[in-house]
Amino acid sequence: MLSTTSTASGKSADLLGSREIKHVVVLGANGAMGLGSGALFTTAVPRVTFLARTKEKADGGLAAAVKMVRSSTVANRVDTGSYDADFDRVVAEADLIFEAVTEQLDLKQQFFDRIDAVRRPDSIVATVTSGLSINQLAEGRSDSFRKNFLGLHFFNPPNVIVGTELIAGKDTDPKLVDFLDAFCTVRLGRAMVRTADTAGFAGNRIGFKVLNECAILAEEHGPLLIDELVGPYTGRAMTPLATIDLVGWDIHRAIVDNIYELAPDEAHETLKLPQYMAELMEKGVLGRKTGGGFFGKDDGGGRIVLDPKTQNYAPKSSIARPDLAFIDTISNLHRVGRYEDGMKAFTEASGPYAAIAQKVIAGYISYSFHRVGEVTDDISGIDRIMGFGFNWAPPSVLVDTIGLKPTIKMIEKAGLPVPPALANAQEGTKFFDDPQVNVGKFFVAA
Amino acid sequence: MKEMTQVPEVYVLGGYQTDFARNWSKEKKHFVAMMREAVLGALDETNIEPKEIEVAHTGNFAAELYSKQGHLGAFFLEIDPAFSGLPTSRHEAACASGSLAIQAASAEIEAHRYDLACVVGVEQMKTVGAGEGGDFLGTAAWYELEAKGIEFPFPKLFGKLGDEYDKRYGLKDEHLAEISTINYANAKLNPNAQTRTWYMNYDHAMSRDEFNGTIGGRIHISDCSQVTDGAVAVLLASPKYAKKWADRNGVSLDDIPRIKGWGHNTARIRFEDKVAESANDDYVLPHVRSTVQSAMKRAGIPDVSGIDAIETHDCFTTSEYMAIDHFGLTAPGESWKAIEEGDIALGGKTPINPSGGLIGAGHPVGATGVRQVLDCHKQVTGQAGDYQVEGAKNVQTLNIGGSGTTSVSFVIGK
Repeated sequence: MLSTTSTASGKSADLLGSREIKHVVVLGANGAMGLGSGALFTTAVPRVTFLARTKEKADGGLAAAVKMVRSSTVANRVDTGSYDADFDRVVAEADLIFEAVTEQLDLKQQFFDRIDAVRRPDSIVATVTSGLSINQLAEGRSDSFRKNFLGLHFFNPPNVIVGTELIAGKDTDPKLVDFLDAFCTVRLGRAMVRTADTAGFAGNRIGFKVLNECAILAEEHGPLLIDELVGPYTGRAMTPLATIDLVGWDIHRAIVDNIYELAPDEAHETLKLPQYMAELMEKGVLGRKTGGGFFGKDDGGGRIVLDPKTQNYAPKSSIARPDLAFIDTISNLHRVGRYEDGMKAFTEASGPYAAIAQKVIAGYISYSFHRVGEVTDDISGIDRIMGFGFNWAPPSVLVDTIGLKPTIKMIEKAGLPVPPALANAQEGTKFFDDPQVNVGKFFVAA
Repeated sequence: MKEMTQVPEVYVLGGYQTDFARNWSKEKKHFVAMMREAVLGALDETNIEPKEIEVAHTGNFAAELYSKQGHLGAFFLEIDPAFSGLPTSRHEAACASGSLAIQAASAEIEAHRYDLACVVGVEQMKTVGAGEGGDFLGTAAWYELEAKGIEFPFPKLFGKLGDEYDKRYGLKDEHLAEISTINYANAKLNPNAQTRTWYMNYDHAMSRDEFNGTIGGRIHISDCSQVTDGAVAVLLASPKYAKKWADRNGVSLDDIPRIKGWGHNTARIRFEDKVAESANDDYVLPHVRSTVQSAMKRAGIPDVSGIDAIETHDCFTTSEYMAIDHFGLTAPGESWKAIEEGDIALGGKTPINPSGGLIGAGHPVGATGVRQVLDCHKQVTGQAGDYQVEGAKNVQTLNIGGSGTTSVSFVIGK
């Protein structure tokens, strides 16, 4: 419409001027998150130091970063070193120390001890933890450390996925949070979401709840059927169990165990790791990095699928596909851009298989809206991280596309609690509030 | 140029662009989904009901090749039941297809045939691999003579454009790299730009290793526009409809942008014939020069100093380099001066491609001309967000089909 919106926001310009980041030190720069984040920082920061256990490992991280973003110029802004030889010197110089070491509380705490001893009192310390408590990580640190410490959770790979969580601890300087929010948005092109310091923050809390629920369902119905039922047509680029295989079963377990222990909620049981996964992990099954998880390949390269009941694998071709005509109908509607019609067909589909899919999606919507006030201030934060972090249709997009009443009906039919924000809404309310986003992209015709 | 006669003005009410970063093949979608999102988005954006549309025009280059589907005008009817019976057509002039669809819709409005037209430009290009797609694009040249059996013919043709500049006036890679850098930087400000998250800087544009290899002579990867899936729709209206629409939306007719001028020329299709024809001319592509001048003249703008920003056809950095002097920002052959002075960067005297252009925002071939006009509309209505050119009143496009073959230019302003 005709309007005269102003250009660059004066507010973020002021914030950006409030501090300077000219030198970033990345700890754990040989890992995927460390090197990916390090490459990202070089787009906005003139000097980035990659540190790892050895200089060779840090050099390896830099080489991988060059390949990741496909530009040798990353190296123009990066120097490398080791924890033994270079840590104290470069950490003392840095404006931002970015911690991306292995996801273990005691290990991270050892690094924070060393950082606290040598850092400048005004330098920023950020951790890329995907679920450890920011307040717990800050315990026992100096006042200036705690004031300048926060969680900056990029998603992997950071050069592709822009959704990013920003988590303040109880002592974090609010001005620093505002600054880093603006810096990451404007200078690094991130879609920022501020979350509470709760287990799994926002994205993993909700995302892994859905993934784990699918893993639970796979025990009875098999991974192939579950991945088709909760497939791309329900609003995601990658199917749930293939996602767990990609992430790694060990990472999956760490995330859901953490949430299960620390955040008992109305969907508590869906966050309990299935026993069969625990048993298979004992045997070394960790997903794609060990050659297979729910899905794998046999010696001849043929696709095989786990049978959780027997813990054996069977050729994909030997597994019968039941009648899933409703999925074909919905996919065909998505294919021509008729997403509302597609999701109408979804809520109206009948039979036991449709009921499984409806229950998972209803659960995703219900669970997401119930987290408002707990993990984020409003649903738009959750929408952003699910859309830009997980590449899933954000819960609000699903409500808007399905329609308010049919959504409520679907949640009720699944025996799940209807979030007050939906129950109390007027018919015709639009929940998704970002007009820049093409919501159609989430509904994949598969 | 034909004598100008008094005709009704054509108003641009607004429109909608799909996110050019999307890969619709990965979404497993037909291009009609793209058309649907663009058209329904444009109707929503302008607060217009589907049944109000009187005529529809589609700009598309090569759906026959990319999707094995012709007759794209007819796909309008798949968008909404209210389009039943709607007169539709499809227009093709390679990369200028979108502008020709706008030309046709404008002409019909000027001829009093219709009061409200919807124009959609659309191209789905990621249905095939890079090599096959490059071959399809070769049909925008004289395929048999210039493209058949040649890997990536178009970068090579536009490499030759650079060679011609080099021969006549001298040309430095540094200036082309700066053009690329500016387009990528602007794209980072555009939420619909394909490359907004890509890794790019001047050093990279100047690098010559495996990550920025040559595609054709002096053209490297960073000099190229993108292979893009995208659709863009705009609503064009007669003064009669525009007045009604303005009243309905509580705005003044004077605040609605118009197509103030247009230019449209064609040169011989083969690149070497064009260059031979212009051997004694100051301008390498004189027909392109005529096109931008005609548009300015029809708009009553004496020269480029009356243009606040340009959305040009940077299919390669060399084509933008050519546009700089052809628009008259510098004397012929001196485009480098405008680059060095910072004139074409956002915040400069005449920013070029604040959107990121074809290099940064992306180049869904048949949609590009429509995207340019929509970006002009955003600029002159102050709705371009972070890539807004402050105070832009008149913004001009240049859309080129082939190797400088079909040129179309519009001046959009209030």
